[in-house]
Amino acid sequence: MSGRMELVCPAGTPATLRAAVQAGADAVYCGFRDETNARNFPGLNFSPQEMAEGIRFAHDHGAKVLVAINTFAHAGAVDPWRKAADIAAGAGADAIIAADIAVLDHMASAHPGTRLHLSVQAAAATPEAIGFYAKTFGVRRVVLPRVLSVQEIAALNRAIDVETEAFVFGGLCVMTEGRCHLSSYASGRSPNLNGVCSPPEMVSYDEDAGGTAARLAGFTIDRYKPGQPTGYPTLCKGRFKAGDKAGHLFEDPVSLNAGSMIVALRSAGVTALKIEGRQRGKGYVTEVVRAFKRAVEAAERGFDPTAIDSILASLSEGGRQTTGAYRKTWR
Amino acid sequence: MATQNDAISLPAFARLLPSFTGLPLGPLLTLSLRSLARRRPGLFERLGEHSSARYLIDPTDLPFAFAVVPDGTASVVRVTGKSADTPSDVTIRGPLLMLLGVLDGTLDGDALFFHRTVSVSGRTEAVVALRNAIEDAELRPSDLLGLRGLLGRFADAGILGGLSAVREFAASAPAREEGRT
Repeated sequence: MSGRMELVCPAGTPATLRAAVQAGADAVYCGFRDETNARNFPGLNFSPQEMAEGIRFAHDHGAKVLVAINTFAHAGAVDPWRKAADIAAGAGADAIIAADIAVLDHMASAHPGTRLHLSVQAAAATPEAIGFYAKTFGVRRVVLPRVLSVQEIAALNRAIDVETEAFVFGGLCVMTEGRCHLSSYASGRSPNLNGVCSPPEMVSYDEDAGGTAARLAGFTIDRYKPGQPTGYPTLCKGRFKAGDKAGHLFEDPVSLNAGSMIVALRSAGVTALKIEGRQRGKGYVTEVVRAFKRAVEAAERGFDPTAIDSILASLSEGGRQTTGAYRKTWR
Repeated sequence: MATQNDAISLPAFARLLPSFTGLPLGPLLTLSLRSLARRRPGLFERLGEHSSARYLIDPTDLPFAFAVVPDGTASVVRVTGKSADTPSDVTIRGPLLMLLGVLDGTLDGDALFFHRTVSVSGRTEAVVALRNAIEDAELRPSDLLGLRGLLGRFADAGILGGLSAVREFAASAPAREEGRT
């Protein structure tokens, strides 16, 4: 690929948007305070006025704002999604990130001048699927599902003529995005339709003599001994008992850090690197963006992956990390 | 050395302070919060329906707690005892210096919660809303005191510097104790 890779960073609040821009983000992605985006948590996200102010701030500092309207519209009630798209386009968003065909169609017909990025929620991972979205709606970039190896991304990029964006850091959904029904099953609300996985109104931390039980809608997702660090009860990262064994049946509670893969992703033709974490705070976002900015610059200057990895070493926080599907190995 | 997630408590004598339930601390904090709501209404709008929730903020190293309803210009703060009978939707417990660190953005509230330095019980969604509202607020002491300009900057520098010094002093207390034995 030609040109420098773009660093796309998360913002759950206006303060975090400003922090991300000041830390060196090339683009910030964020959403409105409703069900139209996949991080619909209480107190998070932007009002229309805050979005307009955030876009002005980003543009004044040379950064872009990509507005996520990436949940699936409810049958017979598409208006909130169309309205969100209209407000974002009117505020000067640099792109809309969408997955629902109704939203993509509305954008293509009502706002043809605004770039369209295909959300990871659309789970488009084949040249045929991506070609359909590009040809039908004029999608210019695809956010890749986190199930592809670097070799598969390289092959995909050779077969398509739109940009690709790859997640490089943060929480990891190993399920094919947009098709996970775990949260719906347990709570009746889903990231795909309501924008929230493990809705907090159904989360409880219950103390007893043995420690703390983290529950979602009454289901125990994990138990912690007294004093042991806890986690948010997300079903896919829960610890369950099957037969006589307890373990992480769906997914180990590890987070993605593909810093060592930046050079490989660049060679594979990836245009933009995405950091996950719109629910994370300013301090976290600032630290991660600064480190990845230095890592991307090092990659552009031809540093090797080991040197880049050392730049990002401070981000491990003692937690377990993985390069995910990018580097597939036999076990 | 204390890490950011380690609990740093006030010296033990703070627990011996008299209860402030009879003093005008509650009305003063109520006025301060209502004044903040007039100046920065967006901060409270972010709480949405949770602005009417009853938050019990319980500094574990003080002999009293605060019952807060952050309802914009109708906000109420009461100083209460430690009784479990105080009605609340959410209870947040932790050392005062850590709670103040979350409020002024010095400390990461998520990390403090997941490492058990701060404990939370009750309606999780109201806690999440409060956490996100505080995260966006970028509150300075001058915001709470209603001070602006040079006076506000002096207050921020003095209070934040003072809190930082107290945290360092409290964090080094275990090391001083070890040195004595």
